[in-house]
Amino acid sequence: MKNIALGRYIPLDSVIHKMDPRAKIISMLLLLVCIFIDTGFIGYAIVGAVIVLAVLLAKLKIDFIWRAMKPMLFMLVFLLVINILVIKTGYVMLTIGNFRIYSDAVVQTCYITIRLILMINITTLLTATTKPMDMTIAIEDLLTPFKSIGVPAHDIAMMISIALRFIPTLLEEADRIMKAQASRGVDLEEGSFKEKINAILSLIVPLFVSSFQKAEDLANAMEARGYNPGAKRVRYKQLKFAFRDYTLFVVSVGLLAGLIVLKVTVL
Amino acid sequence: MPITFKEVSYEYSANTPFAYLALDEINLKLADGKMTAIVGATGSGKSTLVQHLNALLIPTRGELEVADRKIVANQKNKGLKELRHQVGLVFQFPEYQLFEETIVKDVAFGPQNFGISENEATEIAKKAIRTVGLDDSYFEKSPLELSGGQKRRVAIAGILAMNPSVLVLDEPTAGLDPQGAKEMMALFRKLNTEDRKTVLIVTHDMEHVLNYCDDVVVVEKGHILMHVDKQTFFEDTSCLERAKINPPAVIRLRKLLQQQGFDIPNTILDLPTLAKLVRKEVAK
Ligand SMILES: Nc1ncnc2c1ncn2[C@@H]1O[C@H](COP(=O)(O)OP(=O)(O)OP(=O)(O)O)[C@@H](O)[C@H]1O
Ligand SMILES: [Mg+2]
Repeated sequence: MKNIALGRYIPLDSVIHKMDPRAKIISMLLLLVCIFIDTGFIGYAIVGAVIVLAVLLAKLKIDFIWRAMKPMLFMLVFLLVINILVIKTGYVMLTIGNFRIYSDAVVQTCYITIRLILMINITTLLTATTKPMDMTIAIEDLLTPFKSIGVPAHDIAMMISIALRFIPTLLEEADRIMKAQASRGVDLEEGSFKEKINAILSLIVPLFVSSFQKAEDLANAMEARGYNPGAKRVRYKQLKFAFRDYTLFVVSVGLLAGLIVLKVTVL
Repeated sequence: MPITFKEVSYEYSANTPFAYLALDEINLKLADGKMTAIVGATGSGKSTLVQHLNALLIPTRGELEVADRKIVANQKNKGLKELRHQVGLVFQFPEYQLFEETIVKDVAFGPQNFGISENEATEIAKKAIRTVGLDDSYFEKSPLELSGGQKRRVAIAGILAMNPSVLVLDEPTAGLDPQGAKEMMALFRKLNTEDRKTVLIVTHDMEHVLNYCDDVVVVEKGHILMHVDKQTFFEDTSCLERAKINPPAVIRLRKLLQQQGFDIPNTILDLPTLAKLVRKEVAK
């Protein structure tokens, strides 16, 4: 449970870690847009190279990246199967009995796989190098211009920060409940289907109970300290753009522009 | 079969930047039929240590033997269910594990997992609930409606119902009222002396150690600082000092009397004998 890598902050000392969270969020959005500009494998190679560079700069380990992607493997296999069954265009690549696999199915799957991998890497880069608290501050700042049209920037930011804050707590809790039930003979690996259903129930019910309990406690604690979402507040941590943040902007805007040019002219 | 730890180390989140060595090459041998207290400061590794006993945690290095089972680091350890039947572990905050609609059902959950029929398990459960000091009116209540202390009792009943031969309790009396805590300790002692169960109990309460246990294991920063019998532990105040433990009231009183010139040997560990000696001294 503890080893889940997706969405986890890794405290290291790197240029990327030091960057302004607002700059990182905007660049992430720009990079995500880049992925959806279809320039074929060349475009993906370019974006991929930028991401690899960023991962190296962030000093993240390959092992960590791999673990972040692992949960997606199942989905990729699923996609591959669906595509092979559904897509019937292009030339026939392989015939097994009277079942044919078409080239487009394989190409499509490759596309989607690459896109997904790039997307996961981009988001992992953001979450692994940005403290959850900084992320919320940045989200709040970025949403502030939309306040005038009724977007509750602070409330959204607070909700996100609480959700992020409680992910590890919930995992810990799940881990603890699992151990407690294992001590009472619950066996999630061996055992019949009916036993497994019961085993899962013995996990989920306590988890829900304690989550609701925690939510209530937190709400009470916040209220006891006079929290009012509408109140005017100042901030202890001030964000400031530095040279490296502008560099990041230039790189990501440049990348997006480059890909658009590539799309319009070459293809 | 004694419980043996051989060079056991345990590292949380091994191979990540968050790695933390919670146990460092522990060697320990716990004889059968003893009631042993495990004491030590917060964060010293007591809970980590006891979770090895029913293989909830597998050592990252070294090996241990419990109830005829050998558990070795970096090996696929299969069929741990039987071990968990033999070794009952009550968690530090066991109230979170309750989930059935009624208390009886919840307590019967353990025995049923080990293949006991529903009817029989219900009977065992009722007996266990009475044993931990809750009366029959609780049987059909929801475990979620109980107070913290009552939940703890139900959780303890849930483990007792499995009738393990080794009973491991991680701070079972935290959050109970003093009278309730005493009752629980007496119950564990009874299980130890009458049913010959090996009992291991993590506690911060030195009075409980003095009154109910045989041996003491002191854990400090992932190491075993000492493993001695109770008599030695409380007789030799240097042990207590080394373990940075505030001694129980009787020992403090003994020390004060000695400082005032009373001739009282260190072997005295209980109040009645102490009182008699004081009387003798005063009469002199
Ligand atoms: N799941 C975990 N992940 C990482 N570190 C942990 C985890 N659980 C415990 N630790 C660390 O291991 C050390 C020992 O923890 P443990 O729970 O065994 O202490 P303890 O002696 O039982 O303390 P207490 O008296 O407070 O219950 C602590 O420093 C703790 O920070
Ligand atoms: Mg503990």
